[in-house]
Amino acid sequence: MLEVAFVLLLVLLVVTALGAVLIRGYITSIIVLSVFSVVTTVIFAFLQAVDVAMAEAVIGAGLMTAIFVTAVSRTQKVRRDRKERSL
Amino acid sequence: MMQAATYATAALVFAIGLYGVISNHDMIKICVSLSVMESSLVLVLVALAFREGGAAPIMDTDAVRYVDPLPHALSLTAIVIGAGVISLALGLTVMVYRHYGTTDIRRVFGVRR
Amino acid sequence: MTTRAYAVAIAAVAAAGLGYVLLSYAVTDGALLPVAARYVTDGVRDTASINIVSGVLLDYRAFDTLGEATVILAAVAAVSALFSGSTIGTDSHGAGLLVQRSVSYLAGFFWLFPVYIIANGHLSPGGGFQGGVSLAVLIVLLNVVFGTRVGSQRIGVKHLHWAESLSAAAFIAIGAVGIVQGGGFLANLSAGFPAGSPGSLISAGAIPLLNLVIGVKVASGLASIFYDLISGDRVAP
Repeated sequence: MLEVAFVLLLVLLVVTALGAVLIRGYITSIIVLSVFSVVTTVIFAFLQAVDVAMAEAVIGAGLMTAIFVTAVSRTQKVRRDRKERSL
Repeated sequence: MMQAATYATAALVFAIGLYGVISNHDMIKICVSLSVMESSLVLVLVALAFREGGAAPIMDTDAVRYVDPLPHALSLTAIVIGAGVISLALGLTVMVYRHYGTTDIRRVFGVRR
Repeated sequence: MTTRAYAVAIAAVAAAGLGYVLLSYAVTDGALLPVAARYVTDGVRDTASINIVSGVLLDYRAFDTLGEATVILAAVAAVSALFSGSTIGTDSHGAGLLVQRSVSYLAGFFWLFPVYIIANGHLSPGGGFQGGVSLAVLIVLLNVVFGTRVGSQRIGVKHLHWAESLSAAAFIAIGAVGIVQGGGFLANLSAGFPAGSPGSLISAGAIPLLNLVIGVKVASGLASIFYDLISGDRVAP
């Protein structure tokens, strides 16, 4: 039973990796990358690597998403006509 | 079994990330692909440490077998360094955008096609 | 995409796959390697840390961790140098009123998580890296929710740079205590740090201190990278 769940997670890992690499839109790709990190976290927990799982959860799903989104928002055309509300 | 399956998946994910690095022309998508590749390397390290029936290396249980703690320590540093390096790559991307007005490497390097 | 690029990709992929397969054959299943077996059997006696990963990171191989911290310092310095001419824009207003109110009530509880993770780094999963990164995420959250004007006034880039430099110096100072005590650079129990009883909060000698220093360092480094990334406006080429 546990093996079946593990193999399903591995399949999900491959699918999310493909999605993160192949999807065209920036934001969608970054969110899929975040999901990829979460799946990696669960796999690490399965493999008894609890410290690594925690680091991957905090960095991959938390910090890197924020930094990627910041970089994307800094590489779009700045709209001068209306006041920016987001970062 | 879990170890072999993880190795195979890590190889596949590494290949996917490598394909993304080679085939994408956008610098942010290249950074995303680099991130995927780096995760696959950490996956290999963690699978290397796994032992069938081993417990996590926290010594408050009476387990007889433990998984290998050394690759865990190394992959922990690898994850944090990877975050720093990809942040640096994104910073370079933002500076390239400020300078050239695009993040497409074909236009940055003036490749005609 | 040309056929040549496809060929390169396929060749590289094949090489990578082959390497992984060879690696998986090279690993023997079963017993731990001698070094790891030593860490597992003698780790609690040598480092007084329940969490062996923390013990390896901050006692057995603390010098590698210092190198890793140096890499982060280098990355932060590089990003700061890249963005040295630009300042943080104060035109962002953050999220809506509802989000701001609820986050301001919950922010105190949010701080508990990284503090717990760092303080219990030698007892449970976690430690300086994880807690430090979640601190950095908290700083990012404050900036996103309350806008960069408020966020960068509360926790400014100057503070972060000072915290980064001071924690790097503190790491080396804790290591130098080992030399003064005659135990070698970054020695832990052999340098006279109290071992305590393994499993209690105040134990494991210098490991909680190093966890705290690493946490502050990682948090300030990654948060200042974030500040650098959001700084400036698009300047004309």
